[in-house]
Amino acid sequence: MTLVKIKTIALLGLMLGISYLSYAQTYIGKGLKVSLFSSTPIEDIRASSNAANAVMLLPKQELNIQIPIKSFEFEKKLMQEHFNENYMESDKYPIAKFKGSIEPLIDWTKDGDYTVSAKGILSVHGVDVARTIAGKINIKNGVISISSNFDVTCAVHHIEIPKLVFTKIAEIIKVSFQGTLSPLKK
Amino acid sequence: MKKSKLIVYLILLTLILALRAAAQNTDSLLNTLNSSMKFNKVEATFKSPRLVLSQSTETQKKHDLDLVITHRFGDIGGNFGSSHTLYGLDVATDLYIGFDYGITNNLTVGIGRSKHDELYNLFIKHKILQQTNDGIPLNITLLLQGAVATRTPFANEFISFNHRTSYLIQPIISRKFSERLSLQAIPSYLIRYMTTDILDSKNLFTIGFAGRFKITKRLSFIVDYTLINGLSRPTRLSVAQYNPLGVGLEIETGGHVFSLNFINAEYINENNFLTDTKKSWKNGGVRFGFSISRNFSLFKSKNPDIKSTIY
Repeated sequence: MTLVKIKTIALLGLMLGISYLSYAQTYIGKGLKVSLFSSTPIEDIRASSNAANAVMLLPKQELNIQIPIKSFEFEKKLMQEHFNENYMESDKYPIAKFKGSIEPLIDWTKDGDYTVSAKGILSVHGVDVARTIAGKINIKNGVISISSNFDVTCAVHHIEIPKLVFTKIAEIIKVSFQGTLSPLKK
Repeated sequence: MKKSKLIVYLILLTLILALRAAAQNTDSLLNTLNSSMKFNKVEATFKSPRLVLSQSTETQKKHDLDLVITHRFGDIGGNFGSSHTLYGLDVATDLYIGFDYGITNNLTVGIGRSKHDELYNLFIKHKILQQTNDGIPLNITLLLQGAVATRTPFANEFISFNHRTSYLIQPIISRKFSERLSLQAIPSYLIRYMTTDILDSKNLFTIGFAGRFKITKRLSFIVDYTLINGLSRPTRLSVAQYNPLGVGLEIETGGHVFSLNFINAEYINENNFLTDTKKSWKNGGVRFGFSISRNFSLFKSKNPDIKSTIY
């Protein structure tokens, strides 16, 4: 009987351990910053949002980032409206997202700087594009800082830039992304 | 027996917990964070604060200044039209120059001047209800406008200053049904102290209906009709009055909105065209008109993350 008891207690402990471990392997980040930069000889336009959310699952280093398009702020509010209405069609495609995995494998318990790339699907304006995006990761006391700079080509995502506009918009938009992820506490 | 049962249940419970934790994927976790709920406004019901005749539910963005220039030409046909006036293009029945300014995103003040009656108008426009994609089905904007006719009187027309004034109370109700289609209802109550026609009533209750259909992202068809006759207006008048109907094309180019219209109302301001539309679509009384609006952003943000530069 005592042997059975020990066995069951051990089993319970093991299962609790598994559940604890799998929770600890989840990192979440809220309010990550995404900035857009469009540069032409006539006009530079910047926009920024602090409303991106990210989730990372560790065993596979899966990374999932989402941002509401309507959260981007522009200096000119009318430009912001046109960004949503004419270009991004944010009522139809309310969020942009990236879903992929980080390479190479990292020891997430060790503090340090890592140069990584994220391989996955970038979905903007409802168009999914397979991308490998370079980025940097810094780990300090269990908090992960993540940052990346990459380009988004409007035409690839079927974002049309009509000729009859006074504002000049670049065909390739520079995107920068930065924020921190912390272990999910249950 | 009871104890072992309890242990079995405990094992099952931890097993379920362990499985749930393992099965959690990034998508469902992101959904629990759920930040897109804040960004639920249905924006750009209309491209411009004005349709053909009426104001729309749109207000200016905070610290934006909009310059509006509107023109109405003469009758295309009839006695005052045809080739003698180049189908009305020689004539300007009314001209309007005005500014709209956004104090906040929901509160706009405006000032303008019309050629007809040398009318100066002041208005405030307050967006009371904002349509959202998760509950609120309508936009409601309240427009309050006062106007003063400053022209020299005929005979003893303006006994006191009050006789030069008129006031408009107008709740504007709209809904963006789809990306392409937006519709609007505009009940209004107009108060004046003097009528040019003694048979006409001083105060008028009217209902307008307007709509936009987007042909492309930047080109829209707009229509605007106001029901005046048959409501509070007496049926017998010295000079016949008609319900204003306008159709137009609206072209948006980012900062500018151009509107090309055909319309039977001679005048531009509500306080003028609601009380005084003597032309009808039937007898060549229709005219061409256009409107240009240009948006300026004042007081630029100091946030370097959103700084824009024009070279």
